[in-house]
Amino acid sequence: MAGARVSVEHLTRAFGQATVIDDVSFTVEPGETVGLTGASGSGKTTLLQLIGSLDQPTHGTIKVDDFDVTHLRHPARFRLETVGFVFQLHHLLPELNAQQNVELPLLAARLSRRERARRSQEVLGEVGLGDRLKAQPADLSGGERQRVAIARALAGRPKLILADEPTGALDSRSSEHVWTLLAGVVAEHGTTMIVASHDPALADRTNRTLNLVDGRLVANGERLDVREAVQ
Amino acid sequence: MIAVVPALAALRRRPGRTFLTSLGTALGIATIVALLAVGQGAQDAGNQFFHLGASDLGLFQKDAADPTTSILPESLLTTLRQTPGIAAATPLILLVGDIKPEPGAIVFGADPGGFLLHRLVFTSGRMFGQGEQAVVGDQLAAQMHLRVGGTLTVARRRLLVTGIFHIGVAFQDGGAFVPLALAQQISGRQSEATTIAVKLGVGTRPAAATRFLTRRFPGITVIGEGQEAPRAGANAQLLSKTSFVIAVLALLIGGIGVMNTMLMSVVERRAEFALLSAVGWSAVQIVQRVIVEGVLTTLLGAMVGLLFGVIGAQLLVRALGAQAFVSPHVTAWALGRALLIGVLIGVVGALYPAWRAARVSPARVLAQR
Repeated sequence: MAGARVSVEHLTRAFGQATVIDDVSFTVEPGETVGLTGASGSGKTTLLQLIGSLDQPTHGTIKVDDFDVTHLRHPARFRLETVGFVFQLHHLLPELNAQQNVELPLLAARLSRRERARRSQEVLGEVGLGDRLKAQPADLSGGERQRVAIARALAGRPKLILADEPTGALDSRSSEHVWTLLAGVVAEHGTTMIVASHDPALADRTNRTLNLVDGRLVANGERLDVREAVQ
Repeated sequence: MIAVVPALAALRRRPGRTFLTSLGTALGIATIVALLAVGQGAQDAGNQFFHLGASDLGLFQKDAADPTTSILPESLLTTLRQTPGIAAATPLILLVGDIKPEPGAIVFGADPGGFLLHRLVFTSGRMFGQGEQAVVGDQLAAQMHLRVGGTLTVARRRLLVTGIFHIGVAFQDGGAFVPLALAQQISGRQSEATTIAVKLGVGTRPAAATRFLTRRFPGITVIGEGQEAPRAGANAQLLSKTSFVIAVLALLIGGIGVMNTMLMSVVERRAEFALLSAVGWSAVQIVQRVIVEGVLTTLLGAMVGLLFGVIGAQLLVRALGAQAFVSPHVTAWALGRALLIGVLIGVVGALYPAWRAARVSPARVLAQR
């Protein structure tokens, strides 16, 4: 499945007097991996939430494959069909095992039990946890939990992955594993990915980076600019 | 159902809370089952009570506190017997609590020539004559070790037992019949009766006769069917209404308990609902999920409550000292109703928490973590 094209135009998100995203415009091409950098509070998470329809902008538009997703009546359906989220924390439900956690979006899609099992086993195999299907989150390491969370994001075969600090809570070894995994999945399926991270090596892992400062996009595309901003 | 598996897992995650919530529901359901069973038992007993012998209708004094306190003039009989459609009418006096060792046993004062006594089947002895005599039901005779020729003491009067009968009606097999005149002496109600049993002529419809008699005699209540039995006494009506109020209170307490617990659960699990929303669960699906949890919890409670209710009904009858009159009758319909009520409690109790869960903002909650 080809990735989604994301077009953001004059996007603004204000909370009262505070403007968190200030007139941001950019485009991400299908299959492209774009890094989002910036200091804490610069608006990275808010921007990802706006693109994923978890939040609505004050002004501006977001189009995914030329479809305006700014003020959707059923945003959950859009997320279900198009978007896979990876958060800094895995947010696995502790009472469910790895496979059941991965099946959560598939339950929403009303897939049959057999199809849910097939899909969840497939994606857990892709993230290297094919032998830990029945493991409870408490029995998994931090890196393994995040891999289950990635499998959950991939289960619906999304055209767009939005990853917010996916390695922020992991040690360097686990981080490397997760980055490799995400890159492999994106390459294999041609998925579009926008990833927010403080990781200094982010630029090496993405096609290009966008730098946010106080909600404004101050750099667009060049590795050198992003490295300077991070440092 | 989309939400059953995760909902079951969520319930297992907090077994203590699930147990306590279910217990609250169980007590509510048990109350309902016990009241329904005792009520049904009382109604069955009333049905037997008001259909003495071959009577089609029973006449009682209107607004009497209790059927046994009804007082009707014996002179009414003359008018009744002349009324078209009425084949026979016979008076009856009820004496309650006058057999000391068996206070639950009822003594019926009846006219030996009246149609009510024709159905008594004597296992030994014969019908009483006039004077200080009695015939005893086989159940009471067994309890009191009475035989023909023995004596039965009723209100300090020693009566000769002339016969032991069986009729198949618990009230009567557990009681005794004495001559009407004797019962009137004992009760001090000369020329009065507690009730008048009426047998209708062939072709006379009970409903039409009831309407006619009610219009003709404004001061009486006519009981035609067992279901109408509670109308005969204000106490029965009071009991019926009290049972209803208790059942409603039990429902309210159960519903509020479920709502409170589900609300706490939803507040604690905001991140979980935020995540479900983020991965594509619609508001309707999240609402379903919470309601399923509520229903599963109350169903668990309802099943335990059914068991408690059946046991509780027996205990309630014993506590009221009414086992001589009332056998709790647990019907499939009563159990079904209780289960249905359990489901309704779950649905109603979970509605508001479900609405709250569906309104959790994933952007805010997940960003806070």
